[in-house]
Amino acid sequence: MIKINKIAEKIGAKADVKWLTGQTAKERIGVMIAGGEYPDFVDASDGTPEMVEAGAFVPLDDYIDDYPNIKNLFTEQEWNLIRSAHGKIYYIPQFGVVKGEYMRTQHNGEAFWIQKRVLKWAGYPEITTLDEYFDLIEAYLEANPESEDGQKNIGFAIITDDWRYFALENPPQFLAGYPNDGKAIVDPETLEAKVYDTIPEAKIYFKKLNEMYNKGIIDPETFTMNYDQYLAKISSGRVLGMVDQYWQFSDAENSLRSQGMDDRTYVPLDLVIDPNVTPQYLDKPHVNPARGLGITVSCEDVEGALQFLNDLLDPEVMIMRYWGEEGVDYEVDENGRFYRTEEQRANHRDTNWVTQNKADYNYFPTYEGLIEGTQNAVHPSEQPEEFWDSLTDIDREVLEAYGYEKWTDFLTPVEENKPWYPIYSAVDSWTADTPEGIAAVKMDEVKKQWLPKVIMAPTNEFEREWEEYMTVYHNEVDIEAYEKALTEEVRRRVEAALGN
Amino acid sequence: MQLEKSETMEKIPEQTAPNSRLAVWRRKLKGQKELILLSLPFVIYIIVFNYMPLIGWTMAFQKYRPALGFFEQEWVGLENFKFLFADSNFLRVIRNTLAMSTINLVLTFTFSIAFALLLNEVRNKYVKRTMQTISYLPHFLSWIIVTGIVMDVLSPETGIVNEILLALGIIDQPINFFADPKYFWWIVGFANVWKSTGWGSIIYLAAITSINKELYEAASIDGAGRFRKMWHITLPGIKPTIFILLLINIGWILDAGFEVQYLLGNGLIQSVSETIDIFVLKYGISLNNYSLATAAGIFKGIISVILIFTANKLAKMAGEERLF
Repeated sequence: MIKINKIAEKIGAKADVKWLTGQTAKERIGVMIAGGEYPDFVDASDGTPEMVEAGAFVPLDDYIDDYPNIKNLFTEQEWNLIRSAHGKIYYIPQFGVVKGEYMRTQHNGEAFWIQKRVLKWAGYPEITTLDEYFDLIEAYLEANPESEDGQKNIGFAIITDDWRYFALENPPQFLAGYPNDGKAIVDPETLEAKVYDTIPEAKIYFKKLNEMYNKGIIDPETFTMNYDQYLAKISSGRVLGMVDQYWQFSDAENSLRSQGMDDRTYVPLDLVIDPNVTPQYLDKPHVNPARGLGITVSCEDVEGALQFLNDLLDPEVMIMRYWGEEGVDYEVDENGRFYRTEEQRANHRDTNWVTQNKADYNYFPTYEGLIEGTQNAVHPSEQPEEFWDSLTDIDREVLEAYGYEKWTDFLTPVEENKPWYPIYSAVDSWTADTPEGIAAVKMDEVKKQWLPKVIMAPTNEFEREWEEYMTVYHNEVDIEAYEKALTEEVRRRVEAALGN
Repeated sequence: MQLEKSETMEKIPEQTAPNSRLAVWRRKLKGQKELILLSLPFVIYIIVFNYMPLIGWTMAFQKYRPALGFFEQEWVGLENFKFLFADSNFLRVIRNTLAMSTINLVLTFTFSIAFALLLNEVRNKYVKRTMQTISYLPHFLSWIIVTGIVMDVLSPETGIVNEILLALGIIDQPINFFADPKYFWWIVGFANVWKSTGWGSIIYLAAITSINKELYEAASIDGAGRFRKMWHITLPGIKPTIFILLLINIGWILDAGFEVQYLLGNGLIQSVSETIDIFVLKYGISLNNYSLATAAGIFKGIISVILIFTANKLAKMAGEERLF
């Protein structure tokens, strides 16, 4: 809070930020639209189409050029995409912009994860293929059925609870060398979208899981446990590996750290089936052109509001937002590099201190990477020296063994996001009165039921179950409508990015 | 006397029928002025909150878009209903709903009544009260907690049910209760029993206290034991209560619940776990198709009304207690 006032003093404005409690964004937006009164700024999340349709946002097209910090946040391509969603620029996306250099230390997306103790036990081997990964887990589990504290180790787990089940169904796209487009793989040459449930890699992958399940490597409870049980298992330190996106289990990893079980935390691996395929797990942050922070028609001073956003992106204010105040929250050495003293670090680890002292502007249009005009990371935790100092002994041992500086070095970075990426965002706007909308729901339904079934089948019945799954899949899901709609959206986005 | 009465009766309708009927009505109205005024707020309340929202039913016949006004909506006739009944999933969720409701209804009724009968036989006042209090506490737990307990109890790894079955030698491999569709309806049924038996028995216990004590004394003199008295006095004594509650509950038969199935279900058993409400969430609300959700809601409402009227009629024909 104190920092908010400091920033307010500097730029002459501040925002009172309210978070939703006990309401979904759609519900709140519905109430706002019915009442016709809005806060000055709104990020409507999945209620964005309703807000635009109700005419609640001020079109920003004519203003943007006057505010260089906002204008420079996105490339011309990206502005075109934002504009194309509703014909005009109604909002400014808040996330997904990188300036200078990609600095992330922790992979937040999907990967096959492995506990550090397993790598250490095996003498830090290079793991690139699915087979190597499961061989390692199998060998470790055979040698160590129980951990030192007497708990039974669990080889592999997948979370399948409700909408979180994507980590069960989407690995085939990664294993085949595609990025996380989510709902389909897209051929970059022909721009055709194709479902990945029927590609050869899918069958190979689920056959492997079937084999592992029957060997007892995969947790037998994995398809029936809910999210809380999943987190509890990981927090107990028993799970050797899983395929998941980091944000889903980061709470459990924090819990492991606070229990002093640092060797049970995880390292991401970007596995493939054919070692000649280049994996694309580590995507660059991407702008979601479908939502962002908009200025509403209730705002009396649109120019002032934009000036406020523009000022928040000013390098000096960016430093205040993320690092704080020089001499109080951080220090600067003779080379202009920012660092924190032990005491300052301790303060920032204390959540109470942070809520009382720090600015709450993490969720206004922003960028990551390097602060413009400096060589310092936007986020203190991504400043290499700060990151290295925050590591525990086992962390450093693992990184040094592989010759890496940060966890993301375990993965091959995607060179550049394609203009349609990620195509899964298209599916959000499909409704039940379109064949593709129904196809998407049916597809989820079939996969939720059949993937666990084929994995849990006795090994000699796998082929038959897979055949049956494919038959049901083709009968229930209108694949043609689904792929056609996605292909059209890919092409639309490519055209839109070009400004056509 | 007889003659006089019929004479006056004939006279009145002939001369001043319309006027006097109105007059009688007015006089009655005046006489009950206070009562009517007192009930008025509740009538208004019901009209505003229970009948006015029915205007929203029009959504089921439109392709409803939230941002548009009433007259700008596109009308589609019965298309939403056609979609519902053409979808094999909808028929499946109706089956699941009916099956789970029936299991719940039978189980919770039997257990509540049996529990009330047994508790009534406990002679020590303090023991009885303590048991009653303990038994209805689960009613106040939310489903999210209850489903958590159910999952822990049935867990193949640490669940007490599997441990007991293993120790008794009934099974040699832990059962993964949530991986096999055949267990699900019963799990939901017994979760309901655990949660609502105590609470459900309160009303029966109250009904039992109103039974005339002399009946028991007379039966004792005739040589009836405890079970005879239960069967011939207590049960018939609470029969009207049982029928009324049964009638009310039949109206809810298409509400098998949402949270239990949503929280306990998973992909493997979704073919038996999904209820109408979950279907509405998946195909209606999640896909922004409020019209479809409304159509399913209308279907539920109409079937419920039909069920209540039928059950009421049957009760009337059987000469039992009824609602109206």
